[in-house]
Amino acid sequence: MSPESGLVAGSRETVSPPPELTGWAGAATAIHALQQMAMPMTLTLDVAEHGPITIDFPFHAFSWDTPFAEFPHDPTSVLVETRPANPEQPTIALPGRPLDSLLWMIGYTAFGDRPAPWLREGDRYRLRRWPALADIAVTLDQVRMTAMLGNAFATADELAAAAHTPPADARRLVNAFSVTGILRRSTGAAALELPAAAPAAEASTGLFSRLRERFGH
Amino acid sequence: MEHIILFAGPMGAGKTTAIRTLSDIEVVSTEAANTDREQSDKDTTTVALDYGEISITDEEKVRLYGIPGQRRFEFMWRILRERAEGMVLLVHIDAPDAVASVREFIIEFFDLVERGGVVVGITRSDMAPGPTITDFTDALELQLPELMVPVMLVDPRDRGHMELLLMTLVANIETRAAFGATLETEYSA
Repeated sequence: MSPESGLVAGSRETVSPPPELTGWAGAATAIHALQQMAMPMTLTLDVAEHGPITIDFPFHAFSWDTPFAEFPHDPTSVLVETRPANPEQPTIALPGRPLDSLLWMIGYTAFGDRPAPWLREGDRYRLRRWPALADIAVTLDQVRMTAMLGNAFATADELAAAAHTPPADARRLVNAFSVTGILRRSTGAAALELPAAAPAAEASTGLFSRLRERFGH
Repeated sequence: MEHIILFAGPMGAGKTTAIRTLSDIEVVSTEAANTDREQSDKDTTTVALDYGEISITDEEKVRLYGIPGQRRFEFMWRILRERAEGMVLLVHIDAPDAVASVREFIIEFFDLVERGGVVVGITRSDMAPGPTITDFTDALELQLPELMVPVMLVDPRDRGHMELLLMTLVANIETRAAFGATLETEYSA
């Protein structure tokens, strides 16, 4: 390389990786990518100051010494390592911890109030299956929105409007379900609308609301 | 006003414990005699029908009935079933062929499933290896591609788990009634 070129070997500028590739966002992006692959994979996430997480996708389980109550919402780093898995041979001691809750937490946290980069504006989403989230604290607003996405396609904004929640909450929820790998997408579904037979006021008068009050949530 | 919620599932799944966890009152157990000699060599088999309740107000209660899973005891809960708004199906993960057991109950209670009135709680998942949650949901999706049945891993002794299961059931019933279930062109997301 000649000096005239203006380039000097070894002097390239060092830049920070884009935000979608760092912290939980990087982990979520890797998880989403792995879920699109046919090959069974194992993923290790080395979370700064919280130890490694080993995810065995074929066995839908993970191991991590950190309880969910100590889940770090903004770790200084999350290093991602992938390797092929043997679907007959678990890489962690089974039964392990159920995977949905971890993926949900990562997805809910990873992109803040913004949609995950692979979700397209205007597309509507619906659950492929119900998430298994009994071991983390989910709000009853989230339970209600989950039920809506279990029965109809919706954009995050439509979901928020139907559930009377802030749009950011709905976006985070859709991100969480996408990283959990349980969303399906429609480009042609009709907009989610609350039918006349179920006016919005019903949301505050149904058994759900009375039980919620009874349980003190 | 009353709301009837059934708790069903094979013996050992945790139905009585689940009702006890949620109930405001001491759980009441009734007994009945089995005279089905084809299914049992005993002259009588004592079975329990558990009952608990959650009081929302003085006039409004959620009545929780634990029903025996065996079909030969169907006579005990046929009337309850007609009045039931929903059902919590509990299956322990180390039950013999747990996935098939869930499918059988889903067929048996299809009228409730159609209304969004069934949730499945898989118990003992932290104590014994067994099918994964996706084994259950994949089987149900194959069986009922148009209807999603909530499936969760739960501990029937945990009040938080049981409240979540019950609230999920009620949310799904109310939402299904409000929105209905539609099928659309779909892609992985």
